[in-house]
Amino acid sequence: MHTINRISISLLILLIAACIAPAGAYATPESIVAAGKVYVSNASFDPGTFISGDTGIASYTVTNANTDVGIVVNHATLSDPSGKVRVVAGTHQSSAQIGPGKSHTFTFTISADGADGYCYPVFSLSFRDADSLFAREMLQIDNTPLLLTVKDKPDAYTAGKKKTIHLEVANPRNNAVENVIVRFASDGADFTPSQVYVGTVSPHQTVPVEFSITPTKEAPVQLTLDYYNGDNPHSVTMELPVVFGTDKKAAEPVMSNVQVTSMGGTWHVTGDVNNAGLETANTVMVTALSPAVPEDPYKVYVVGALKPDDFGSFEITFRADDAETVPVKLTYKDDDGNVYESIRDVRISASGLKIETTGSGFPVVPVAAGIVILLVFIGGWAYYLRRNKK
Amino acid sequence: MSPSLIDILFRPDAFFEHGAQEPESLKIPALIVLTGGILAAAYGYLMGELSARMMAGMMPGMDAIILISAVLGALVGTFIFWAVAAGIFYIISTFFKGSGSFNRVLEVVGYGYLPQIIGSLITLVAAIQYLPKITVPVLTKSALDDPEIIETAMAAFMHDPAMLELTQITSLIAIVFMLWSANIWIFGMKHARKLSMRDAAICVGAPVILYVVYVIYSLGAM
Repeated sequence: MHTINRISISLLILLIAACIAPAGAYATPESIVAAGKVYVSNASFDPGTFISGDTGIASYTVTNANTDVGIVVNHATLSDPSGKVRVVAGTHQSSAQIGPGKSHTFTFTISADGADGYCYPVFSLSFRDADSLFAREMLQIDNTPLLLTVKDKPDAYTAGKKKTIHLEVANPRNNAVENVIVRFASDGADFTPSQVYVGTVSPHQTVPVEFSITPTKEAPVQLTLDYYNGDNPHSVTMELPVVFGTDKKAAEPVMSNVQVTSMGGTWHVTGDVNNAGLETANTVMVTALSPAVPEDPYKVYVVGALKPDDFGSFEITFRADDAETVPVKLTYKDDDGNVYESIRDVRISASGLKIETTGSGFPVVPVAAGIVILLVFIGGWAYYLRRNKK
Repeated sequence: MSPSLIDILFRPDAFFEHGAQEPESLKIPALIVLTGGILAAAYGYLMGELSARMMAGMMPGMDAIILISAVLGALVGTFIFWAVAAGIFYIISTFFKGSGSFNRVLEVVGYGYLPQIIGSLITLVAAIQYLPKITVPVLTKSALDDPEIIETAMAAFMHDPAMLELTQITSLIAIVFMLWSANIWIFGMKHARKLSMRDAAICVGAPVILYVVYVIYSLGAM
């Protein structure tokens, strides 16, 4: 009976051993040495730096450095002890063989749940014939957004006048962002272009962006900077106030030294135009308005471009009956092609009149003619009287 | 007198010799002077219109006053000139022991005004041509407080190139036709006041030459 029990126990032990054998049966010293030559040759994250809430890809490339022995792996996992990163998908449960000198990449979909900072997710890989492989790579979570900066804008706007605004998109992050688009919106302005595609912005790179705005009323402009961090859309918004008023830097052509003369029924107005502004006044033109009727030779006088503190002279000619003052219009364009005009009344009545004494002064011809006529008359009568006396 | 007015212009001696035998009549001379007065009034209207335009803003109704004054002044002034000229000739002729009534002198001076009508017609045509070219400064109420403004305006008005030309032309026309009239008046005075040719020439010539010299001086002083 004891013998039978011993045999039964021995058979049970053998049976159990036979069942356990596949797991550890191949963990030979050779297989352990071979497993030691398997390593994580590359680990990467996309995006390179996560923003909280972003979903991305973690890729681990495992390389078998053995030259003659294949390695069977059967379980790859990724986990983060700090809890900042969560694996959404990609646990590898199936077996795979990595041939000698070959590599195999394991990818995981992960989500960054933590706040700003660094974390070290653990990649583990189980070998069939040896212990597991572990690898820790640093992953950064950085919530710094892209910067949208107004580099230059008008001091004030004018309804219906186009102005150019210069922006700058800056990427202070450590990874590139893609599909960067700047959009403009307002219920009181038109934009040209309506949006600007910037594309990819590399780390610490700045990209200039400019657009034109033509406001119709005082309404703020919404600037939206859309970009993708990996496959995750993000946006930065900014509000730009639009206030109508006088642009402090605008060109300011001023008429001075205005002189009025009259020649044969035609008024001549001469003067200077000084640019008292800080920007160039382009295509400065001067002409007279109704009731004046511009006449040749100077119906319209084109002074041309006037830089700040520069000046040019003008002369206009017109007829104006029954008018005490005549409005003189001065127009110019800014760099955006907007036309500005200012009107100044010029007195052409006596108080503003410069008396033009034309000709050579003394009227020699008519006086001489008068004297000659008189002398002929006197001479003729003297002769007549003398002849009659005789 | 002679029924032919052409004789007045070109054969005044014969015209007045014949006329001296006729009874005095101021009807035709008055018509001649009236015609001259109407032409002068038309010229006055044109000139007055410019002045009225210049001063219309100074006071309401100023333009109408100026226009009426210019027209009436020219019309009445012609008759005053007729009488004054006749008076001067008559007074001077008394120094030469002239005889004959003042009405007869008025009559010959009236006939002698005929060249002035031609002169006035030419002046009128010149004015129609030149006046639109003249730039008229406009005065406002503020000018009433500043006489300098009015002076400046008048100076600008008179120194307008078109105005200068018109003044020179009308002055020369006035000289020519005044001398033509003087020529007629000399023969008229000879017969009206029974003067010698020399005395009649002095009676008429002296004041007319003074007038012409004044016109020439005015031309030079412009």
